[in-house]
Amino acid sequence: MRLVRWLVLVAGLSFAALPLLWMGLSSLKSREDAIRPHLNFVPALGAPADPHSFEFEATGTAYAHLSEVHAGAQASFWSHLWSSVVIGVLSTLASVALGTACALGFSRLEIRAAKDWLFFVLSTRFMPPLAVVVPVLLMYRTLDLQGTHLGLALLYTVFNLSLATWLMKGFLDEIPRAYEEAALVDGYTRAQALWRVVLPEARTGIAVTAVFCLISAWNEYGFAMTLNSSGAVTVPAYFAGLQGNIEGMPWPQIAAGALLFVAPIVVFTWLARAHLLRGITFGTVKQ
Amino acid sequence: MTYRNERGLTWGLVTPALLLLVLFNVFPLLYNLALSFTNAELVGDGARFVGGANYARVFSDPLYSGALRRTALFVCCAVGLELVLGFAFALALKREFRGKALVLTLALVPMMLSPAVMGLYWGLILNGNYGVLNQVLGELGLAQPQWLTDRGLKFWSILLIDVWMWTPFMALVSLAGLQSIPPHIYEAAEIDRAGAWTVFRRITLPLVAPLLGLAVLLRATDALKQFDLVMATTGPNDGATQTLSTLLYQVVFRDGKVGLGSAYACVVLVVVIALATVFTRYLDRLKGAEAR
Repeated sequence: MRLVRWLVLVAGLSFAALPLLWMGLSSLKSREDAIRPHLNFVPALGAPADPHSFEFEATGTAYAHLSEVHAGAQASFWSHLWSSVVIGVLSTLASVALGTACALGFSRLEIRAAKDWLFFVLSTRFMPPLAVVVPVLLMYRTLDLQGTHLGLALLYTVFNLSLATWLMKGFLDEIPRAYEEAALVDGYTRAQALWRVVLPEARTGIAVTAVFCLISAWNEYGFAMTLNSSGAVTVPAYFAGLQGNIEGMPWPQIAAGALLFVAPIVVFTWLARAHLLRGITFGTVKQ
Repeated sequence: MTYRNERGLTWGLVTPALLLLVLFNVFPLLYNLALSFTNAELVGDGARFVGGANYARVFSDPLYSGALRRTALFVCCAVGLELVLGFAFALALKREFRGKALVLTLALVPMMLSPAVMGLYWGLILNGNYGVLNQVLGELGLAQPQWLTDRGLKFWSILLIDVWMWTPFMALVSLAGLQSIPPHIYEAAEIDRAGAWTVFRRITLPLVAPLLGLAVLLRATDALKQFDLVMATTGPNDGATQTLSTLLYQVVFRDGKVGLGSAYACVVLVVVIALATVFTRYLDRLKGAEAR
């Protein structure tokens, strides 16, 4: 039994981690080494003496070439990364603020048919982006928001509201009501009690919610590629657009870019590790 | 503290979010419904009312029924495989050991990454001529199939990427379920000399089932929307891998047929809403059971 357990663990961990390890190795290759038909996975400092060995010459050129503009794209990786950062941060701030406010209302105040409203909020998350994108596109054309940072940030804000509201409601419900009742006795108004007593208690929850909103905006692709195909293109839309590149895929640069793109997510996953279960189940399952 | 003030506060807190959701979700849905009865196109004006013609076309279109079947197959295979593999991994992770947090977090990383970026990158691993998977298979003297270009195989290759991304999700939920089982139940079973299989079937499985049900529903609604991986590997117009979402993209954005696409979207939505309703009902019942 012990052996089986370790085998399952090693197999599972390798399956999860090897593709990412390979990404790191591929980012150090020249294009020739990346598309060489025989296996090469040992980075060496100089050119390998035997061309059929498992060694390849490690180089940083892929990272240097990230500023190149590839065929079929309009800008370099860095400018797309900047779009991702701007849109991700803007939408995270907005959805956390609006979602927290909404969750405060549902958690602490009397609202008629609160449960129905909450389920309505959750149900918006199930909407396939492609099913609502045409009306949004037409709306954005009229408002001149197509291909702008603001337009996509606004859309992601709404897209993440369900997540932010549900996650925050879970966190807020755990804060004992005695705290604010004490504050009310001390002469605080209801709003003051929420702002000065309840919100500071929810710091961790707010941080966790922000991480999940940021990741979900960072990774989003459907809206990004349909609405922002011309301007403010985020990294996922840029990368997927390279598919079927006529010049041949610039694999080392893709690996290097993808690695830089996913590295912050790996860090955030580690930081939020105690709350991952909540995050992926909209706060409905608590660890 | 006056009651009037409280109502103002409630409105101020809750309405901005709800208003935005209505504006960006309910309104587009209704607009979509209206468009589905017209022959609107992506470029140019002059949409005309065409009645149910688009719907008639959707239901007689072999492309649609093909995509529907393919998506259903994808959802069943993906969710089933991920559940079994994830549960097995969670069973292996159940006991405490040193470095467990690190192992768990590392194993969970794939589900946090961008499907579009990782889908594109998996193209390098699965490439038939220089992909590392085939290189390893070659070293072992095994067959080296064209994972992403072989007509019969590419659907399953995309499924493989999906399993890579989402097995961690099932593992995490399963682990939470397993760890929530009070140890004294197992101790009691040990005293009764119950066999390992009996313990698993009579204790572990029934107690984890509600949580697994939640995970399955969440994953199913998500897999139903499968778009990113297909777009990043084989593109929207590949007959062997076209899902409902990519077909929708092809019809609206490549063919420019907004009216027809809206009809597709409405039909897809009926399925999504049905699943979402099941999910929320399930959640409601689960919470009710917890409260009791």
